[in-house]
Amino acid sequence: MKIRIFVGTGGVGKTSVAAASGLKSAIEGSRCLVLTIDPATRLKTALGMGTAGDRQKVPIEAFSAKGELWAAQLDVKERLDHLVRRHAPADKLPIILQHPIYQAIGTLVGMQELMAIERIGEALGEGYDEVIVDTAPARHALEFLDKPEYFTQLVGSPLVRLVGRTYKWWQKSSLARLGRIGVELYGQIENLVGANLLRDVLEFFSAFQGVAEGYAKESAETLERIHDSRTTSFTIITSPFKASRDAGYFWEELRKREFFVEGLVVNRVWPELAVSARPGATSEAEALVTWYRNVSAAHRQAWERVAAEYSPKIPRLLALRELATDIDGLPALHQMAQAMGQG
Amino acid sequence: MSAPGAAASLTVFCGKGGVGKTSISLALGLRHAMQKRPTVVVTSHPLPELAASVSLAGLRERYPEAADNLFVIHIDPREVLSNTVKKTIPSSLLIKAVLTSSVYQSLVEVAPGLKEIAFLNRLHRLTEEPSEAGKKFDRVVWDAPATGHFLQTLLVSRSFEQYLSGPFALLGAQIASFSSDSARFAVVPITTLEEMAVEETIELWRQLGGDLAIEPKAVLCNMTSPLARSTQPVEELRGQLEAEGDDAAIQFILDRNAIERSLFTKLRHAVPGALRLIERKASWTADLDLLLDIAKQMEDFPDAWTQ
Repeated sequence: MKIRIFVGTGGVGKTSVAAASGLKSAIEGSRCLVLTIDPATRLKTALGMGTAGDRQKVPIEAFSAKGELWAAQLDVKERLDHLVRRHAPADKLPIILQHPIYQAIGTLVGMQELMAIERIGEALGEGYDEVIVDTAPARHALEFLDKPEYFTQLVGSPLVRLVGRTYKWWQKSSLARLGRIGVELYGQIENLVGANLLRDVLEFFSAFQGVAEGYAKESAETLERIHDSRTTSFTIITSPFKASRDAGYFWEELRKREFFVEGLVVNRVWPELAVSARPGATSEAEALVTWYRNVSAAHRQAWERVAAEYSPKIPRLLALRELATDIDGLPALHQMAQAMGQG
Repeated sequence: MSAPGAAASLTVFCGKGGVGKTSISLALGLRHAMQKRPTVVVTSHPLPELAASVSLAGLRERYPEAADNLFVIHIDPREVLSNTVKKTIPSSLLIKAVLTSSVYQSLVEVAPGLKEIAFLNRLHRLTEEPSEAGKKFDRVVWDAPATGHFLQTLLVSRSFEQYLSGPFALLGAQIASFSSDSARFAVVPITTLEEMAVEETIELWRQLGGDLAIEPKAVLCNMTSPLARSTQPVEELRGQLEAEGDDAAIQFILDRNAIERSLFTKLRHAVPGALRLIERKASWTADLDLLLDIAKQMEDFPDAWTQ
């Protein structure tokens, strides 16, 4: 069982490269899931599938595949409901599901990163040989790994556990039991967020705590497997003009967290264009040719630079050629998968 | 303090990842700064990341006056939140207790929407109040995050207004009203002429107009080739080109050129606003040259788009 995580900034073709890698593995005999946690992506369009359902089997018989390819896209609200139903005690379930705070968090930004690890965790139990994760370009690209750790820290802190367990009790008795500093602090927080909202949040949390602790425990286990280089590897995807800075940024961030960086893919490198304008060509044609030649030369220079710098650090370096047509549908992905084999 | 009518207006560059939002934001900032307007470019990237992506190195040497008028800041929501705590809580002992507690620190990281609302609030204030340094900005440019996160960020204000109560709901309502005011909040999506980016732009235009009641000013097509707008038939072009080896290289150029043209037409039909092209400079050595080139191409853009 392998986990391969594809990271990169936006617009470099992460989803296509992830899907093509999955296709390649499936053709070679793996039972493989490509999971995208980016809400904006069109994985299913790229794979020529409909939009319904959590995960779908991709029809790849045409490529005489020995394995299976599955595709799934993270649905935050659905995962959150799933999590609650799994961990909430029966008496708390309706309270949680109908609580206004629950309605709010289901719609809010930031949940995606928390639910990603939950979905990855579930995928690990679904019997795949390989799980390929196509990540979202977040503010901080590795937020989906950092955020669950903060959450675990929050839920595990003695104060939060105390408040969660005893809120009902001290709400009824007296705030005085919190001590003088506690009362003062509570008053200040009340000023800051508003008395009603604070009460709502605390009330919600006292019902939700079991779910939060369940999440924290599961995500810690999943993160442990992601930290294990025997199970998990990272691949950095970039494009020629971003290659040098993306590679530098992700290499540092991943190394800081002690993850195993297995690959660097520079996607969409233009081929060498030895084309010129015929004598007597229009100035339009002249300008076009010059422009294309310059851009393609700059692409190849960028690739050579980054390859020289990272070949001692990263085991697999690969330049993927820009296809003349846009990546759309399985045939184009198959073309890309074949190019990967040669790399 | 500035008069209520004197608030700076904001240009928001949004769009798919990798379409050039940061470069265009900095280029517009440069254009304003060269016209001696104090301008701040607000980026959602942490500064080390931004510095790695595009640099203004050399500006002070070449255009000292523009350098004096151009500010690039990263709003760190954590800092905004800790300033709020400092302002609200009167006792320094309590402030310290709150800010150093692991509960506060991890809560800030995980509370959904909290960082986003703090960011938007700071952005809103930047258009209205002098900054900490006492500088009043004429123009504010927001280099927004990629589409998904950008829309979610704007929706936070609506969610806070709808689901929460007290000061946070009020804050949500204020920001929602600010971002729907098209005279002060000019949204300009950027795209490249590539299938995925164009589709995302059409969808983005629709979503902005829907739940958020925002009407973008125009769409900028970035990094186009010199012939994206050409009407010369592709086959005529073929006859004018010759390749050293096989014709695959010529086919590559013609195919990409045809894609650009058809996507430009598609976009023109799907989006009711104005469309403008920014051609990709084929090569450059200093980032500043690239930015100056883009700024020059934006010179004739109507002021209402770029406020």
